[in-house]
Amino acid sequence: MDFTHTWLPFIYLYGLGGILFVAGIIITIKSGSFDLNRHAHKKWMWILLFGFVWYLMMHALMTWAALDIIPVYTVPIVLLGLVAIFIIVTLKLRRVGDA
Amino acid sequence: MQTFHNIGTTTDWIVMVVYFIAIMLFGSYFGRYTKNTSDFFFGGRRFSWWLITMSIVATGVGSHSFVKYSAKGFEHGISSTMTYLNDWFFIPFFMFGWLPIIVYSKIRSIPEYFEKRFSPSARFLATILLLLYMIGYIGIGFLTLGKAVIPMLPEAFTVLGMTLPITLMGAIIVIAVITGIYITFGGQTAVIFTDLLQGFILLFAGLLLFFFGITYLGGFDMFWNLLPTEWKLPMADFNQPANFNFVGIFWQDAIAGSIGFLFMNQGLIMRFMACKNVNEGRKAAAVNILFVLPISAIVVGNAGWIGKAISVVSPDIVSPSVSPDQIFVVVANIIASPGMFGFIMAALTAALMSTVDTLINATAAIFINDVYRPVQQFVKRNVMTDSDRDKKELRAARYASIGVTALGVLAVLAFKNFPTVYEAHGYFHSTLTPPLVVGIFLGVFWKRFTPAAVITTFVGGVALMILGARYPGLLIAPFDHGIEMNPDHPYSYIRALYNTLVCMGAAVLVTITTQWQRNICSMIRENQNQKLIMRILVTIILLVYSVVLFNILGLTVQIASAIGVLILVPITVTYYVKYDEKVNTNGLTAGSINIARNLFKGGEPNDQEGETVFVQLKQVDGEDSVVQFSTKDMAIMKAEIGDLVYISDKRKWMGGLKSIHAVFGQPHDEEGMVYITPDQIKHGMFVDGKMLEAEKEM
Repeated sequence: MDFTHTWLPFIYLYGLGGILFVAGIIITIKSGSFDLNRHAHKKWMWILLFGFVWYLMMHALMTWAALDIIPVYTVPIVLLGLVAIFIIVTLKLRRVGDA
Repeated sequence: MQTFHNIGTTTDWIVMVVYFIAIMLFGSYFGRYTKNTSDFFFGGRRFSWWLITMSIVATGVGSHSFVKYSAKGFEHGISSTMTYLNDWFFIPFFMFGWLPIIVYSKIRSIPEYFEKRFSPSARFLATILLLLYMIGYIGIGFLTLGKAVIPMLPEAFTVLGMTLPITLMGAIIVIAVITGIYITFGGQTAVIFTDLLQGFILLFAGLLLFFFGITYLGGFDMFWNLLPTEWKLPMADFNQPANFNFVGIFWQDAIAGSIGFLFMNQGLIMRFMACKNVNEGRKAAAVNILFVLPISAIVVGNAGWIGKAISVVSPDIVSPSVSPDQIFVVVANIIASPGMFGFIMAALTAALMSTVDTLINATAAIFINDVYRPVQQFVKRNVMTDSDRDKKELRAARYASIGVTALGVLAVLAFKNFPTVYEAHGYFHSTLTPPLVVGIFLGVFWKRFTPAAVITTFVGGVALMILGARYPGLLIAPFDHGIEMNPDHPYSYIRALYNTLVCMGAAVLVTITTQWQRNICSMIRENQNQKLIMRILVTIILLVYSVVLFNILGLTVQIASAIGVLILVPITVTYYVKYDEKVNTNGLTAGSINIARNLFKGGEPNDQEGETVFVQLKQVDGEDSVVQFSTKDMAIMKAEIGDLVYISDKRKWMGGLKSIHAVFGQPHDEEGMVYITPDQIKHGMFVDGKMLEAEKEM
């Protein structure tokens, strides 16, 4: 398969999108509206970073599966694993906040 | 291209009619929770995140998605999911910039933000642009509804011996009448609850269709192996073909579309405003984008993928030449049994109606807030009680809903000649969102952004956009990333990049030259003939703008005219508009959100994290804004007198439907009781004897 149909869109999406995403975090932190001294906002930082990795992994896995590099069933298995990690860490962060 | 009519059986039609009646009764039931314009438009700022998340599903998924993504799924495969999986990049800006601002500043519409942040003239221009955007969106919704329903209808029907053909526009008009009914009488609470129900039904119907399709093909392995490799990739080719390429869709959807959807879609913003607080809004957005959108991407596109797989193995059953916009209906009819097909079609059309009615409700909100009220104030017809004014506004809101519905039908004419709904929607987003997106975005995140800059963005940016649309081969081509230009619909998607850049360029240039504009205005003010000079300037602006607008003279003159607009408009705005950066940005930029929180509460926020308490109500007479808890309960909540409190029915499944916001008053000694007035009980629809849950806000 042609690079322009496989990894170039991926690199463009997460390269340029990643710059915008990081810029968003930096700008909101600098403006004071995203305050990492507050526990609730630390939890949101985890959710934001997870979201970026979640989508990046989803697209990478789907591309590998399309190219027959990994079996297609690997995609939902890995994604469900990520969801489990998300739930565990988010709940743990909530308990730390409650404590 | 192969088109279809008369798909479906009598059973399907019966199922559809029953479904619609049930949904309308459901919506009407919740219409009784609408008591004033705040409830009509915003649902009273009381709902839990999960309820809003699910109601957003019906708005997002319902919005023409089944038809347009199935079409692209059929033409290009799993890359039809692209637009559902690229919304995360702007979420930090939304969660910690725009969302707290719209909640804490208590604005009711996006144009109102422009007035507070900039000036009434900026609000006026924003209102025009936003109404165009919303009505265009409604038009796209109606177009999709028509295209979804037409394959199920006969080509013509006979009445009193006359044969009447069924046309797309005819079908759309009938749909518009049905759509207008419960939104007009229900309001936002009805919409939220109808969408909640439909959100579940939609996801179920879409996944059911996928299951039927996989079963029909003989299992997932068979389906997967039938798809060519290009059809399995999650993203389109970088820059080809012209009607579906990655880079164009990135700029049109991931950039303009995502910011447009999150920042300026009044329908969506009203959903977030209906959340009980900012944090619940963040949760609703996060869960929706992280988990619901990927599922939705499968739900809306799978009919196209299944259709493609069937067309590979049995081209006699699904021809590769089927009209893409009809593939959803064609595939659903093949793989679902009679009755089930009716259910799927009912879910699809009802979901589309959900989107359209949300947009109609939102557009009516803009009309009341940004046209009706300012006009009433102008003619000074506000010598009446708050209650009378509210009743009058509620009536006007309902009439506005009807008017907006009619304009939405007319807007279909602008889009119906595009080959697919997807391209019509892409062109629409690329063209109408950039000026407002730039205006909102820089308004929130750049304190130095001035009224002169935002108005020049709206006026000068649009002038440059018009030139781009007129001379795409010259002006948009340098940004095309190698995409071939289709002369019939040039650069439907990548024009978003050009449009965003020219608007952003105008905004930045005018902002960084603010001091020059002020110096020039000072010089003009010192001149005895300042009024004459300004009149001449305004006349020149009108003349040069007409050159661009009406395509007078050649390209060079038109470009020079646009540059003239970019130079003269900021000077004129700086001269006429009174603007104090300190006052106008207070609580309205990301850098001043703490001030916004103070203004919202009317005092210093109390950020100590307390616990929720469960109480019984006790009716007392007193101030309607105040409730009283026991000293012990206030200590558990870590609340102080004057803090804000949210009280709701303890039953979580109600999602905050029965709830109020109030202020902590003097504590009493009756532990486990809240003293509450009859009006508060009535507004919260609380039932004596039912346990209430209370939590301190902020």
